[in-house]
Amino acid sequence: MVRKRNKLQIIYDILKVIKGKNGKIKPTHILYKSNLSYSMMEEYLGELISKKFIIEIKEKQSKTYSLTEKGIKYLDEYKFIIEFSDSFGLIEE
Amino acid sequence: MLKKTQEVSFISFKRDKHDKKLRKSVFLKLNKMAHLFLTSNWFFLYDVIFELFFAITALIVSVYSFKVYKLSNQNQPKLFGIAFLSFSISYFIQSILNYLIISEKAQIISNIGILNSLGLFSHIFFFIIGLTTLAYMVLKIRSKQTYILLLSSSLLSFLIIANKLYWFYAFSSLLLIFISIYYFLNFTKNKKPKSFIIFLAFLFLLFGHIHFIFSVNHLLYYIIGHFLELLAYILILINLTLVLKNGKKKK
Repeated sequence: MVRKRNKLQIIYDILKVIKGKNGKIKPTHILYKSNLSYSMMEEYLGELISKKFIIEIKEKQSKTYSLTEKGIKYLDEYKFIIEFSDSFGLIEE
Repeated sequence: MLKKTQEVSFISFKRDKHDKKLRKSVFLKLNKMAHLFLTSNWFFLYDVIFELFFAITALIVSVYSFKVYKLSNQNQPKLFGIAFLSFSISYFIQSILNYLIISEKAQIISNIGILNSLGLFSHIFFFIIGLTTLAYMVLKIRSKQTYILLLSSSLLSFLIIANKLYWFYAFSSLLLIFISIYYFLNFTKNKKPKSFIIFLAFLFLLFGHIHFIFSVNHLLYYIIGHFLELLAYILILINLTLVLKNGKKKK
């Protein structure tokens, strides 16, 4: 049985998808690659923007998302974050 | 030590108000207090060292929690960091004041009883802030009002209760039961050794505080309580070391 992803893992997956596309991605690609519902994706993107992990770039009729320094740092330190949060019981569902 | 001598120091100072010879040596007074309150001289210095170790360990955990908070912006590490920072302050105050009392420096302080009570109250105050924050964190309620309500009701009852020592140990044990259950459930869900270590650590903290309830009348329980607390913080430190080792290895 596949274990339900926690919040930290979902954030990691979204950021990784953006990084995989050279740091710039359309929301439809995030939706496709992150395995989330549209409403969940919108919720997560909103949170990531407010926490300054990504920035939204509006272009003519479309919008794209880019990683910030903070987002890159999150990806780099992800193993430490997940290890610490997991063992000290700090993970939010 | 603060716990055991809190009331005694006041009584003995009043009784010995005019005893100039005894006032010359704080150590003599401590000896007297020790006999009166069933505290043991040999444990005085260990007490200070133990509390310093608890303070440093809690500070290290809080520093790493805030680092995780800075990286992830999640609420849980922030609350965990606040809780352990409060524990650290609580132990630092207790350790420093206990050291001042047993050292020669205490001679310059006119009323050792005030120092003693100050140490005890500060220790309880910060420890209750830490435990309430931790209890709020494990409840996973996202409401500032709930946190303020929990914190203010805990601190208010501490301020108005007559027997603060019994209340503190009983109340902290109650909160530690909640926290231990949370970490037990976390372990059953994760089934990871590190989750088991942290569950054991909080279980030892709980047993330690239960022993402190009995320590008000029996010295042995006070010492056992400290050793249980020592075990708890050693386990927390082991867990943190494993986290840092694994966190680096898998990068």
